Amino acid sequence: MSDLKNKIDDLLMKVNKPARYTGGEINSVIKDVDKVKIRFAFAFPDVYEVGMSHLGLKILYSLMNERDDTYCERVFAPWVDMESLMRERDIPLFSLETKTPLNMFDVIGFTLQYELSYTNILNMLDLSKIPIRSKDRKGYPLIIAGGPCAVNPAPLSDVVDLFVIGDGEEIINEILDLVISCKKDNVPKEELLRRASKIQGVYVPSLYVETYNDDNTIKSIKPIEDGIPAVIKRRIVKDLDKTYHPDKQIVPFINIVHDRIVLEVFRGCTRGCRFCQAGMIYRPVRERSKETLIELADKLIKSTGYEEISLTSLSTCDYSQIESLVYDLIEKYKEIGTGVALPSTRIDAFSVNLLNEIQKVRKTGLTLAPEAGTQRLRDVINKGVTEEDLVNSTKEAFKAGWKSVKLYFMLGLPTETMEDVKGISDLAHLVADVYKDVNGTTRGLKITVSTSTFVPKPFTPFQWYPQDDMESIINKQNYLKELLRGKIFSYNWHEPNMSFLEAVISKGDRKVGQAIIKAWESGCKFDGWDEQFKFDKWMAAFESIGVDPKFYAYKKRDFDEVFPWDIVDVGVKKDYLKRECKKAIEGRLTGDCRLYCTGCGIKDLDEGVVCFET
Amino acid sequence: MKLRAKFKKDGDLRYISHLDLMRTIERAMRRAQIKFSLSKGFNPHPLISFGPALSMGATTHGDYFDVVIEGEIEPERFKRDLNKTLPNGLEIVDCYIVDDKDLLSNKVKEAEYTVDVYLMSHVIDLPDEIKRFLGRDEIFIEKESKSGSKIIDLKNYILDLKMIEAKGSKVTLYVKLKISEGSPGPIYVVKALDDFLGHVFDMEKILVDRRNLILN
Ligand code: SF4
Repeated sequence: MSDLKNKIDDLLMKVNKPARYTGGEINSVIKDVDKVKIRFAFAFPDVYEVGMSHLGLKILYSLMNERDDTYCERVFAPWVDMESLMRERDIPLFSLETKTPLNMFDVIGFTLQYELSYTNILNMLDLSKIPIRSKDRKGYPLIIAGGPCAVNPAPLSDVVDLFVIGDGEEIINEILDLVISCKKDNVPKEELLRRASKIQGVYVPSLYVETYNDDNTIKSIKPIEDGIPAVIKRRIVKDLDKTYHPDKQIVPFINIVHDRIVLEVFRGCTRGCRFCQAGMIYRPVRERSKETLIELADKLIKSTGYEEISLTSLSTCDYSQIESLVYDLIEKYKEIGTGVALPSTRIDAFSVNLLNEIQKVRKTGLTLAPEAGTQRLRDVINKGVTEEDLVNSTKEAFKAGWKSVKLYFMLGLPTETMEDVKGISDLAHLVADVYKDVNGTTRGLKITVSTSTFVPKPFTPFQWYPQDDMESIINKQNYLKELLRGKIFSYNWHEPNMSFLEAVISKGDRKVGQAIIKAWESGCKFDGWDEQFKFDKWMAAFESIGVDPKFYAYKKRDFDEVFPWDIVDVGVKKDYLKRECKKAIEGRLTGDCRLYCTGCGIKDLDEGVVCFET
Repeated sequence: MKLRAKFKKDGDLRYISHLDLMRTIERAMRRAQIKFSLSKGFNPHPLISFGPALSMGATTHGDYFDVVIEGEIEPERFKRDLNKTLPNGLEIVDCYIVDDKDLLSNKVKEAEYTVDVYLMSHVIDLPDEIKRFLGRDEIFIEKESKSGSKIIDLKNYILDLKMIEAKGSKVTLYVKLKISEGSPGPIYVVKALDDFLGHVFDMEKILVDRRNLILN
């Protein structure tokens, strides 16, 4: 082990950001490896700075390490400079805590946050000298995966031994117990997997077959033997207030993407935006009580020394006691200079008073997400936000001294026309007018408009909808570039071919999985990073296995079509999604389900699932 | 009140930058619940100032920082409490009260280093070669800075340079340098010496340790 550490040390001065590979951070856990029964590598298929910002890692790392019989260590995808040195000198991928090669672990758990990091998973296995296909992995660590992208497990079915669907902290202990007992009794992996498949929320892809119709749509996904569940029910943390939240958090030495305390105030969302996968697959809303949050905040601030605490959720201003929570936290910590941040702000819910309070301690930017340029289109996507909301809230913010605003939109939403695209620019100009009204001039103002490309995602009302084609997206982006000229505006857009690939993989089946393997074999990795993305290689990979990617991204689907992800039951019913899809086209809104239940079906998933009640 | 703390930084912490170091110490003080003063303005930051930045990859056994404390704290307690919350590789070795007007940046004049280098080919008499190297009237080198590179005379900065140990191919050098705005670090000295000797050092494997900053 120390030999490997020396070999690694010899590389560190030759790479960018060597602290990505050293470990040793405050609150990282060092255990005696001889005293544990199971070694688990939490693997994040992106660089350290991205992975360390992720809440799921913080929760599961602490939770697993609280068990005396388990040691969870971390590993991230080495950046290309480090990787090439490692390959050159035959250094295997290693854990940060003890510098142990990954193939010596019992379990390697990948988190699936983004489809364009899938090739990194293959690359990390390969760097660990572990075969990438599960069928070739006799005697190797168990490879498991969870996270939001696991709701469609099909594309990684040949790679991953076992998927976890739903809240990881609800299920991980059952899996650890099973692995420990199988290890003790020398139970072979096939039998372990068969036993695991009986745990609610576990999907073992090797126990199922996917068959196809002549038109390439799915005919069925069925278990290959009796006693295996026909659908995988998602696992849900029922009482978030009583559920584990770490009171320590690793404090990295280098700046990471979100370099602050992350305090999860609630899980789920009741708004029902029709494009939003997270809003559907994390239902219902489950809150932590204010008392619990303040107690956790206190412990986290003491254990980390961070200068900022971020209250996270899908839409934090919807927290039932947001105002008093924020006031209390600010009061308590302002003298030590620790500020509060609200990462996502909805313009209808946002209170300028609140933001004023927040910026007394630390200046934060104003970020608003109208998502679409016209009211018509905002109604289609059920984004219950009006122009008036935008005007009112920016007016108050400008009065309070804000000078820059970021506006987020999507291009290529269902039914979008050029009129809607122009609406994006109109809104930006409207905000500029508001500023001028307040300050008499536009001097000092900075408006950043960002557009991403709409990706139709599984388990959303738009899952039947095609993605807008790349040519049309590029036209729309160029149109916006024209419209958003002038010093006060800056316009950012997302690579359309990346969004295309994201659509293909997120709606992909097992055949798409073959293309992912091919793409990796031809050198693709870090596909979410502009400078690494090799679109041509991806297209060649699809071609070589005879699969048309456009079929997945651009095909309008029938309501009765079987999807690869129908093997999973996330709780929100298909009928509800269909109803929402139809209402979208008619431009009819669906209200916030905190006010009255709109019948998504989540309550029927499992005993004890209750929705937020005021 | 203002405290001056002398610290050492070694092990894996040599891979963190000066900025990372500052943040790490700031957060450790918060964990230790040491009340430091904050600057005014939008993003308040602690009133801490450091001596000359250490380059990435170097260790130190004698660097300093100054910090303004709200109220009173015993220097001994500051040292003890902070050492409990610092990560492995960082340690306060000394701490004392200084006058509010006493600025660290005005105090640092000289620095002592040891540098471990590895010989790729044999040098007959290194101490003698070093003497010959220092015997030159001027030693011009090109130094990179934020505003591009410029030519400077290294001789103006070298106060001392000698070999203190040779073990196999590993040679330990002692370097004492003058510190001022834009002064070169010991790596430049090693590079110039290596040029002079006709490239005998493995320039990819150099370990710099700042033994001490000398305050006047
Ligand atoms: S069951 Fe009703 S209240 Fe609960 S998440 Fe679904 S729509 Fe909202």
